[in-house]
Amino acid sequence: MTRSILRGAPPARDRRRPAAPPASPHTGRRQVWRSRLYRLDVKGSPYLYVAPFFLLFGVFGLFPLAYTALISTTAWSPRRPGSEDISVGLDNYRNLLHDDNFWNALINTVGIGLVSTGPQLFLALGIAHLLNYRLRGRLFLRMGVLVPYVTSVAAAALIFNQMFARDFGLLNWLLQPFVDSPIDWRASKLASWTAVSVMVTWHWTGYNALIYLAAMQTVPYDLYESAAIDGASRWRQFWAITIPSIRPTIIFTVIVSTVGALQLFAEPFLFDTTRNHNGGADRQFQTVVLYLYQQFWTNGRYGYAAAIAWALFLITVVIVLVNFLLARRIRGSDD
Amino acid sequence: MTRGGRWVYVALVGIVVVSAFPLYWSVVVSSKDTSAIGSYPPPLVPGGNLWDNLSAAFEQGNFGVALTNSLLVAGTITVSVVLTSTLAGFAFAKLPFRGRGALFGLVVATMLVPTQLAIIPLYVMITQWFGWANDLRGVIVPALVTAFGVFFMRQFLSSAMPTELIEAGRVDGATTWRIYWNVVLPVARPGAAVLGLLTFITYWNDLFWPLILLNTENPTVQVAIANTASGIEVDYSLVLAGTVIATFPMLIVFLLLGRQIIGGIMQGAVKG
Amino acid sequence: MRRTHATIGLLAAGALVLAACSKNDTSSGGNPAGPVTLTINVFGDNFSLPGNRSIYEEYEKAHPNVKIAENRSDFGTHHQNLQARLTAGSGTADLEVIEVGQIAGYIGQTDKFVNFLGEGVDAGQWTPAIVQRASTSDHKTLIGLPTDTGGLAMCYRTDLFAAAGLPTKRDEVSALWKSWQDYLDTGSRFLQKAPKNVKWFDAGGHVFTGILGNDKETYYNDKGDLIVESNPAVKAAWDQTVKAIKSGQSAALAEFSPEWNTGFQQGQFATVTCPAWMMGYIKSNAAATAGKWDIATIPGGSGNWGGSYVTVPKQGKNIKAAVELAKWLTAPEQNVKLFKVIGNFPSQKSTWSQPDVADFKSDFFSNAPAGKIFPASLANAPAQVVGPQSGVIGNTFSTALNSVEQGTDPNTAWQKAIADIKAAAGTG
Repeated sequence: MTRSILRGAPPARDRRRPAAPPASPHTGRRQVWRSRLYRLDVKGSPYLYVAPFFLLFGVFGLFPLAYTALISTTAWSPRRPGSEDISVGLDNYRNLLHDDNFWNALINTVGIGLVSTGPQLFLALGIAHLLNYRLRGRLFLRMGVLVPYVTSVAAAALIFNQMFARDFGLLNWLLQPFVDSPIDWRASKLASWTAVSVMVTWHWTGYNALIYLAAMQTVPYDLYESAAIDGASRWRQFWAITIPSIRPTIIFTVIVSTVGALQLFAEPFLFDTTRNHNGGADRQFQTVVLYLYQQFWTNGRYGYAAAIAWALFLITVVIVLVNFLLARRIRGSDD
Repeated sequence: MTRGGRWVYVALVGIVVVSAFPLYWSVVVSSKDTSAIGSYPPPLVPGGNLWDNLSAAFEQGNFGVALTNSLLVAGTITVSVVLTSTLAGFAFAKLPFRGRGALFGLVVATMLVPTQLAIIPLYVMITQWFGWANDLRGVIVPALVTAFGVFFMRQFLSSAMPTELIEAGRVDGATTWRIYWNVVLPVARPGAAVLGLLTFITYWNDLFWPLILLNTENPTVQVAIANTASGIEVDYSLVLAGTVIATFPMLIVFLLLGRQIIGGIMQGAVKG
Repeated sequence: MRRTHATIGLLAAGALVLAACSKNDTSSGGNPAGPVTLTINVFGDNFSLPGNRSIYEEYEKAHPNVKIAENRSDFGTHHQNLQARLTAGSGTADLEVIEVGQIAGYIGQTDKFVNFLGEGVDAGQWTPAIVQRASTSDHKTLIGLPTDTGGLAMCYRTDLFAAAGLPTKRDEVSALWKSWQDYLDTGSRFLQKAPKNVKWFDAGGHVFTGILGNDKETYYNDKGDLIVESNPAVKAAWDQTVKAIKSGQSAALAEFSPEWNTGFQQGQFATVTCPAWMMGYIKSNAAATAGKWDIATIPGGSGNWGGSYVTVPKQGKNIKAAVELAKWLTAPEQNVKLFKVIGNFPSQKSTWSQPDVADFKSDFFSNAPAGKIFPASLANAPAQVVGPQSGVIGNTFSTALNSVEQGTDPNTAWQKAIADIKAAAGTG
């Protein structure tokens, strides 16, 4: 359709011509020059507009990426002189496949991701819907839900550590009448995944809610009016009008949250009060990036850590593709 | 939109209380002393040391410089990200061009790269090739355009921007830039405002990269907080006082500009 | 149109400000006579307090052409940044302080540091145990000058001991545990009549480290081979600690966490392995327990926890001036000054007989002769053999013991720890 507009452009210019200044001997050439410029503008502007991103990425993103791929084929550790020159080919990746700790980290990551992402996005959708109402103190409430994102990570960590402390924590104190002995929130996978998910959900829900809210506010009000006239309940309006209208934004948050879940680092790191990147005494909640950090910073195994990073990247690509295709499939079935 | 009923308020206020509680608690602890963080039952009422701890943290963390630096860093990045993202997002969402799908896929793909992957080579690049060790430029420049921003604006515009308006502009013979300026920007404003707000907060709170590039002579607020956390024996009330200093400027920005940013969203809504 | 102008103006202004904020070059090209600013990176109160840099001021007064600029960061960040900057070849300060548990990882990178043995430093000023950690195994290179040290004693709660029917006078208590096994046996005795919810020690990891503190070769032998699996001392220490954990002696608290602080305040454990700096730590985190503590000798007689070294990276621009400052900061006179102002226990042997140090007491700790107890634990400490991953191995065992405290089967935990250690310390 757009192509016809492009092809139709010259005639459009003709339509405008009566308003232009009286024809002069030079107008003919100016016409051609202008229409060529016009075509250049239509064809070339998009590339110009997206260029800044690729320029910057080319400089700051590409080199580190390639260099890290190179490092992943060595046995480099700064604590062992000369090790950067020892090439091991794909051995690091082979070792990764047999590394129980890596698979454990992957399971933790996916588990925490599932427990935290789903509820978080539904919660955010609900909160955005509530914030969409005409409310008194609207600004205060809208900013209020963003406070977790504003709160410094250091502060949040200390508070949640207090809440989830084993012997004198707030949560265990509240749960006292319901359990035999205080829950050690860091000792089991289930408990630690729950705790970490609570931290993640607390941190990111307001953020996603605001994104949904911005999208919801672009939905024309008359759609709701006519639906209300047709007798649709508010719930029905939500599902039939709001959600489909902001679908691109929902897809966006799903993909971004998935990537965020796969790359989760801050919350599991801070939940372990020993700060040793182990994700719990028995790696109960060590995510892949936490494992990467451990290999990189604590153990000084640069080559192996680079391999973990690349493995994570490839896994992320696969999962996002699957996500995206599923979203397309769902949209297809709706049409 | 319809008026919110009583239960809407109750739910939202409850959510705000849960959201803001940790911030309140950091004020409580920073108004006491370091033993407060370990005491049981945990303190819930502020003590009297707030001013002392705030001034001590302010000095130790070099917060005067830190706040200015963070403002500069977050502010510059936000302006740049919003401008470039709206432009690129518009192109990807509404302008047809060859390779659009593939290039957009590439943008999304760059988001999938774990940032921690590139730390050493990036550090080498920034400090040796550009000579920006301990320089704010090393923090700002790599973040001037983000895939997140481009992706976000593209999604926002693809649903919020009616294609008919753009076509009408074309029919009138407007250049792409004029269409962008007169037609797209007003529609993009609510999305751009949210993107700006979130970007500002993200880079205000950015910890990891500034921590390695900058030192305490030229810190951002997160580096300054790390400074107050130095020592085997951490004075938690001081650290949390530092986080209070780091957080409250943002809340003030909310109050002052919030109405511009969020309150004005209704005007951007497209009618019919 | 106005908006365009405004935006462009903003960006231009931003660019100008950025240009103006460019890096300040604080070096003077290495000329010792010209004015010089020396940067020193620390991770805490190594040489100063937040409001007190008197030690630096004293040096600046004596050397008018030198200015000292200190950068503080938290422990983890400081060491991570140091390694990254060493690898990248730029960005380190003129002087870098490295903690004793981390410095083993830098012995493999001695080419990046100044060798103090070539700068006229007499390594005999410190005990072999302390100096060894910053030296290569052939004793020909010393990359760090010791600053403060910890030593090791056993701090205990007199009130909790009394409640459980144990003696409370420090000489009697020290006699209770000449060896670590005696210590753990006393623990069983303690538990029989201990007040509710009070355990014997705070964490298994501290006991394990303490037991191994008396051995020369623990994880590596002096040829540099990894001997974790084959060294019977390691497995023996493990088994001893696990037995104590299984009998309920451990409060299972992570060191330096808020829960650990709560543990001090709430009296969750009766004893804790105690280096010199722990005295200040307990004072500020559990002020209400004043006067209830005392200090006994450490089982086995020797040990150390904590301490740092000053290093001078070779990539700096003011090597000569930095070396001078490093030597001055770690000299005996400065050791004593720092002890009096900040409380960092001096590592210089000659200071231990001076009254300022030897007569040090604190009524928080029932006036125990701390100034004599800690040097005694250092004087006979064996010079331990360390390897590049010694710090990592120690942490792995502490974590594994924590896992046992959480209920993991000890054999499984041991196997996992060994596997992790072999992966980390291997050639991969």
